[in-house]
Amino acid sequence: MADSESRVCRKTYSSSVGEVHPDVQFAALEAQTRRHFLRSLSSGVGALFMGTIASQVTHAAKVGGAAAEGTRLDFRRDPTTPLLALPPQFPAKVRRVIYLHMAGAPSQLELFEHKPELKRFDGQDCPASFLAGKRFAFISGVPKLLGSQYPFHQAGQSGQWISDRLPHIEQHMDDLCVIKSMRTDQFNHAPAQLLVQTVNPRLGYASFGSWVLYGLGTENQNLPGFIVLLSGGKSPDGGKQLWSSGFLPSVYQGVQCRSHGEPVLYLDNPSGVSRPLRRTMLDAIDDINQQTYAAFGNPETVTRIAQYELAFRMQMDATDAMDIRKEPEGVHAKYGAKPGKASFANNCLVARRLAERGVRFIQLYHWGWDSHGSDAKEALNLGFADRCREVDQPTAALLSDLKQRGMLEDTLVVWGGEFGRTPMRENRNGQEMKYIGRDHNPGAFTIWMAGGGVKRGVSHGETDDMGYEIAKDPVEIRDFHATMLYLLGFDHHKLTYQFQGLQQKLTSVKPARVVTEVLA
Amino acid sequence: MSVSGPDFTTLWVSRISRNRLSLVLVAPTLLLLVLLLFFPPTGSEGGALLQFIGRFHPIAVHLPIALILLVPVLELVGRTQQFSYLQASVPFVLGVALLTALAASLLGWCLARNGGYSGPLVTQHLWGGFFVVVISSLCLGLCGREGRAARLYPIALAASIGLVGFTGYRGGQLSLGEDHLTEYMPGTLRKVLLVSRSSAGRATGGAATFYGVRIQPIFAGHCISCHGPSKQRAGLRLDSYAALMRGGKHGVVIKPGDARGSDLFRRITLPPSHDDFMPKEAKQPLSGDQIGLIEMWIAAGASKTQPDLMTGPGPQPVTVAAEVRFAEIDYAAVAKKRAAVDAALIELQKRFPNILEYESRGSADILLNASLLGPRFADEDLAALAPLQDHIVTADFSRTAITDRSAPAIAAMKRLRVLRLMDTKTSDVTVQSLTTLDQLESLSVFGTKITPAALPALARLTKLQHLYAGETAISSTRSLPESLKNKIVRE
Repeated sequence: MADSESRVCRKTYSSSVGEVHPDVQFAALEAQTRRHFLRSLSSGVGALFMGTIASQVTHAAKVGGAAAEGTRLDFRRDPTTPLLALPPQFPAKVRRVIYLHMAGAPSQLELFEHKPELKRFDGQDCPASFLAGKRFAFISGVPKLLGSQYPFHQAGQSGQWISDRLPHIEQHMDDLCVIKSMRTDQFNHAPAQLLVQTVNPRLGYASFGSWVLYGLGTENQNLPGFIVLLSGGKSPDGGKQLWSSGFLPSVYQGVQCRSHGEPVLYLDNPSGVSRPLRRTMLDAIDDINQQTYAAFGNPETVTRIAQYELAFRMQMDATDAMDIRKEPEGVHAKYGAKPGKASFANNCLVARRLAERGVRFIQLYHWGWDSHGSDAKEALNLGFADRCREVDQPTAALLSDLKQRGMLEDTLVVWGGEFGRTPMRENRNGQEMKYIGRDHNPGAFTIWMAGGGVKRGVSHGETDDMGYEIAKDPVEIRDFHATMLYLLGFDHHKLTYQFQGLQQKLTSVKPARVVTEVLA
Repeated sequence: MSVSGPDFTTLWVSRISRNRLSLVLVAPTLLLLVLLLFFPPTGSEGGALLQFIGRFHPIAVHLPIALILLVPVLELVGRTQQFSYLQASVPFVLGVALLTALAASLLGWCLARNGGYSGPLVTQHLWGGFFVVVISSLCLGLCGREGRAARLYPIALAASIGLVGFTGYRGGQLSLGEDHLTEYMPGTLRKVLLVSRSSAGRATGGAATFYGVRIQPIFAGHCISCHGPSKQRAGLRLDSYAALMRGGKHGVVIKPGDARGSDLFRRITLPPSHDDFMPKEAKQPLSGDQIGLIEMWIAAGASKTQPDLMTGPGPQPVTVAAEVRFAEIDYAAVAKKRAAVDAALIELQKRFPNILEYESRGSADILLNASLLGPRFADEDLAALAPLQDHIVTADFSRTAITDRSAPAIAAMKRLRVLRLMDTKTSDVTVQSLTTLDQLESLSVFGTKITPAALPALARLTKLQHLYAGETAISSTRSLPESLKNKIVRE
């Protein structure tokens, strides 16, 4: 939708020099520096090869955005509109994702995993078989088993187990699909978070949100298509890499917005610069950029123009979308939101507003779940309870708002951390600690999903009686992503990007499986 | 540079006696004969140096082929006055052809003897090469002579050409596969030439047996290029059940009932770097599934006749979880489906960017999300979408400025599955007109002025699953039509 103020720059950009007027060609030749000459010289050999495949490319382009070369899906767009919405490969179950990442890894044994056997062995020495060949972040020597610190009960018509820490989310138990058999191979936060978000524990890979944006684009061209909001007082350990576009074009990376003040830093005009003046300035810059593009035909130049225009349109829409003061008081109360503060509650409300405005991928990180028991904030009986309070009501309010409006039908809401926690009480340096906590457990953790195409009110997978390892239906992170991509309308093998000689894909090179058992 | 024909011939013939050349060639020809008779290829690999030399056979062999084929050309063209001097070069060309044919044959023996070849193909190829040497010697002896020899010469020449063709064809079969010429032959040509599809490499164990359906195709795909009709390395053939069970020069390779004790199984499960690992030479190793199948088959007795009771393409776990099968998109069919709607859609996408899109890459159905335009989307805009009304399956008008005046336009979108009227000025008038939407599954009237009076109309929508009616006059009403009771979402 073209803002009336913004200049419509939908000129068709042609990279063919042959169509340029001779005078312009001459001027372009004059503009050639030695650097340009050397560069084109080195790319000349490549161009010879490209010439041979150019006819195929043109053909694919003719068939349009919906076409493909052979069986490969085509994700190319006009460089002026890199975020243009494209149809999914297959009819999608969901059209947007709201991913609530509980950074630090919440304890499944205090929330969703009811383990009466573990409770029975509470305080006893951990069996040696639990420790053989395992690596822990902090546990050493022989730790004690630790039963759940909170009582469990069954909730809703589905009768799923939940502890007393999430009384609001409990109201939605019949809408949730709880996967209790998630598994990872990383036991430290940063790589484990990277694994959850990029399906690779190392830096440099594209995040789930970036892949979704690359594959589907976004509907609202006045807002970023992938927005990240942080709360909990600390950034997740994986840092900005968690919403990085990796090897995908940088236009697909997540945009971290601030929860108060300007949503995007430096988005507003500097004081003394009016919006019309800004427009005049952008027009001048665009002119120069377009001259550069006419001379050298680098698509990155057009991307730059598009980015300036997006920022200009965002000045209006982003500020409006992020401004939760526009919501009535009743809604604030429902979420527990307090405008002007950075909180998970505020972010949940913003998430709903962004979802309504056609933002494709909204990701919330809430730090503080790393309940080792090393201090009060990390204690299962203290800080952990606070974290639960911080997320319980707003998460439930978000689910409720989406459901009420019918949006839960085509939205996927995901809630979870990066690994689980041990059934053993942490004993840092082999000593009993003042506060109660658990160490990292990559062997099993719980996440839940809710929304279109997902079974409602069910649990999938089981862990052993101690909640330590998976006993039934393990779900690898890549399986989880294959499943989410399926809900978004993609065969995860076909959402690919050519990089370093590989058809890169989100689900990595290992075989991944769509977890059909959780599909509605 | 032109040398007149007769002078050159005289010169050449006088310099090198053809007979003397023949004498020079007799020794290597005899050597070749001895090698072929007493040291035929055995199928096992031999000396690395000889193999190295042998690998030059395919390079060397093309020179004599070209030269021998050149001779009749020279003879025929040389009959014309203008090119008569060409005839003078025939003995020279034949001489070089003979020398190189002999060299190529010796190289060929090196390759065959030491490269692990055996079987009728390679034998015929070798002897073909030998006779090419013999016949071209004969040609050299006969050419340019008078009398009876002059009459024999064309026959010998024709025979050498035929032999070159035959030997070359066998060579092609050895390197490219037995059906290398017919494999991709167009169907019509195939019919004209009465060529049937080769059965080499196909299942020979019968259609419905486990061996025939599951096992033989694995060998055919990975093994028989070295253990088949053309090559039998280590004397082993895997192209038939009988040959497989017979084994090779190292003994039997399958011990029925004992997979771990079977040499074949041992070799395919070794680490790929191991000397005994099969398949060798950077060929595609067997997949885990394939190894699993072979293990199952041997363990179950390695039967030839046991029926194939498994379904699906590979081994199935005991508890079968449903798998997602992704269909390929047939873009030609999609283009056909979209032909009627494409032009109208593109036109309307220009007017309303970003709110209209096909549901998927393979679909001609359209999703409409007017909510992005908010109050800038009004009744006139909705009316403009009429050309697409039969294709829109999802329509979101939330927060737009549409009113009850749009009711007919919405009611005309007969294929709608999802309709959202959230926070619009629509009322019972619109909702009551929706009875035409018999595909409607989900309707959101959240925050509209809808009243319970509209409910009976909605009760007639048989496919309706969800009615989102929060923040309306329905929210608090108690009397709901029976058919809607479980479908209304109010809070």
